[in-house]
Amino acid sequence: MRLILRLAWRNVWRNPRRTGLTVSATVFAVLLVIVFVSMGAGIHEQMIEDAVRLSSGHASISGRGYLENRTLEQFIDFDPELARQLDATEGVVGWAPRVVGFGLLSSGPDTHGIAVLGVDPDRERWVTTLPERVRDGRFIGQPGGREIVLGARLAKSLEVGLGDEVLLYSVAYSLEMAYELFTVVGTMKLPDSAMERGLAVVHIADAQAFFVYGDRVTEVAILAGSADDTAQIVSAVSAGVGDEVEVHGWPEIMPELVQFIFLDDAGMYIMLLILVVVVAFGILNTLLMSVLERRREFGVALALGLRPRAIFVLVYLESMALAALGLALGLGIALPLVLYLVGHPIDLDNEAMKGAYEMLGFEPRISWKLKPTHPLGSAITIFGVAALAALYPAFKASRARPVDALRSV
Amino acid sequence: MAILEARNVTKVYETRGVETPALRGVDLEVEAGEFSALAGPSGSGKTTLLNLFGALDEPTTGSVILEGQCLGELSAMELADLRLHKLGFVFQAYNLIPVLTARENVEFVMELQGVKPRERQERAEKLLAEVGLADLGAKRPLEMSGGQQQRVAVARAIASGPRIVLADEPTANLDSKTAGQLLDLMHTMNRERGVTFLFSTHDPMVIDKASRVVRLVDGRISADERR
Repeated sequence: MRLILRLAWRNVWRNPRRTGLTVSATVFAVLLVIVFVSMGAGIHEQMIEDAVRLSSGHASISGRGYLENRTLEQFIDFDPELARQLDATEGVVGWAPRVVGFGLLSSGPDTHGIAVLGVDPDRERWVTTLPERVRDGRFIGQPGGREIVLGARLAKSLEVGLGDEVLLYSVAYSLEMAYELFTVVGTMKLPDSAMERGLAVVHIADAQAFFVYGDRVTEVAILAGSADDTAQIVSAVSAGVGDEVEVHGWPEIMPELVQFIFLDDAGMYIMLLILVVVVAFGILNTLLMSVLERRREFGVALALGLRPRAIFVLVYLESMALAALGLALGLGIALPLVLYLVGHPIDLDNEAMKGAYEMLGFEPRISWKLKPTHPLGSAITIFGVAALAALYPAFKASRARPVDALRSV
Repeated sequence: MAILEARNVTKVYETRGVETPALRGVDLEVEAGEFSALAGPSGSGKTTLLNLFGALDEPTTGSVILEGQCLGELSAMELADLRLHKLGFVFQAYNLIPVLTARENVEFVMELQGVKPRERQERAEKLLAEVGLADLGAKRPLEMSGGQQQRVAVARAIASGPRIVLADEPTANLDSKTAGQLLDLMHTMNRERGVTFLFSTHDPMVIDKASRVVRLVDGRISADERR
């Protein structure tokens, strides 16, 4: 075997220019695969993070059927036992109870349909970034103050400012008409423009009073340490709640985000597949040329007693050596580059790009995330490609009859 | 005693439906210790017969027997083992492995045989000294002259301790002086080591030196002269 290894390695360097070109193509492919896959992972993680920190949390507890209907009818009784359970669940960083309802908000002649989000401001800070998104004024304070924070675009549409009063009216849980005056104490700048046009935040106690909802809540949003912990948290919390309560992870809460990530990944992987196929043909071409040039040499080796199987292994090892060289150099360049980019995400300055990101509700930033699976996946892909590309040349070389191979020029 | 036999061997090549007979019923026995030559004009069937003796090709009919074993009954793997342990080859175009040094080329067959590194290195160096290339062991084939390469090829051919060395036109690419020196070298090995040589050649120098000359014409033996 040592002889075959030595022969394979020396054969790789027999035509340095050809080897250099093949290795360069592999390096380029590894570099692009690592940079794009980790960029995809970083952007998607940022999107998930932005989305869950904007409002939903990584998981939520709600009444059965709430996710489909989103009405006050599906509620949960938020008792201290559930709070203790959440505090004790591994991976849970914070949780916040909420009352979510819908209504009309008017000021003077202007009226808008809105979502009313009743939150506990102290708890909400642990779960979402809503309190940090206030640009004018402040976030809501004590319960019973009838304070309201509006999306900036909503405030603009209603032509209201800080200290102005707005009239909120809706149908309460008791099916009676509910109406109440609230004082605008702040406006929020939100990355999702639709949300900024249609969201009003009040204190949870004020929302419960307005909707005649008692101590009920519509959902409890949960923040995990990482999106990767979501499934484990959903499973742990589900085990401790009754049948009338459901626990959902962010993929169920935001299926459109899952679909967007899937489509984005699909596009990227198709592009990378094309790249990998190009590399495969590069390796195939190099090996075929090399095998055709050495037919006579294989004939000599067979005549001297080398077994056909050893010729197969020899060509295979040459392919693996080409792949290993390309992979080592590719990773040598890609890993430091991506590690740098992980620590230095790129904020988008271009207005059009910025606008597109903001329209989708995400921070205008390109981030990278390097997972151990990225270099591992690249290694498996490149070696797999080299193994496939080597099959035909290795088979062709090993099947040569010594007498025919010796006759070739 | 015959170590190699051809019994009523024929070989017909077929190219695009056209059949070309290369051997038309050859019976020949090669005995241990011979220094024999297959002589004849181009196309007479010398190289074809040598290839059949070397288990590199199969006869169309008839059989080739090496030390009592019919080659036609062996698998590709068994034939590879047979070539490794019982046969040595010297080719017209030297055919050394270009990525290996002279010493590694000589060691090649010993490595395939599983000879231990130290032993094969010693044996390779001794053989290179024997063929007059003691100082060129680290050179690669492209750094050597044709004569030097063919000497390495001879050293490689006998390194495995074969029963017979088959040499196909070994002097054809060499000038007469170098060819004479190479021939003397192989003759010395035949006399002193008892290595059996069978050449295919049309070089008068080889024919003069051979202890037996088998002449082939149109795929048939026309004369078998022992000296």
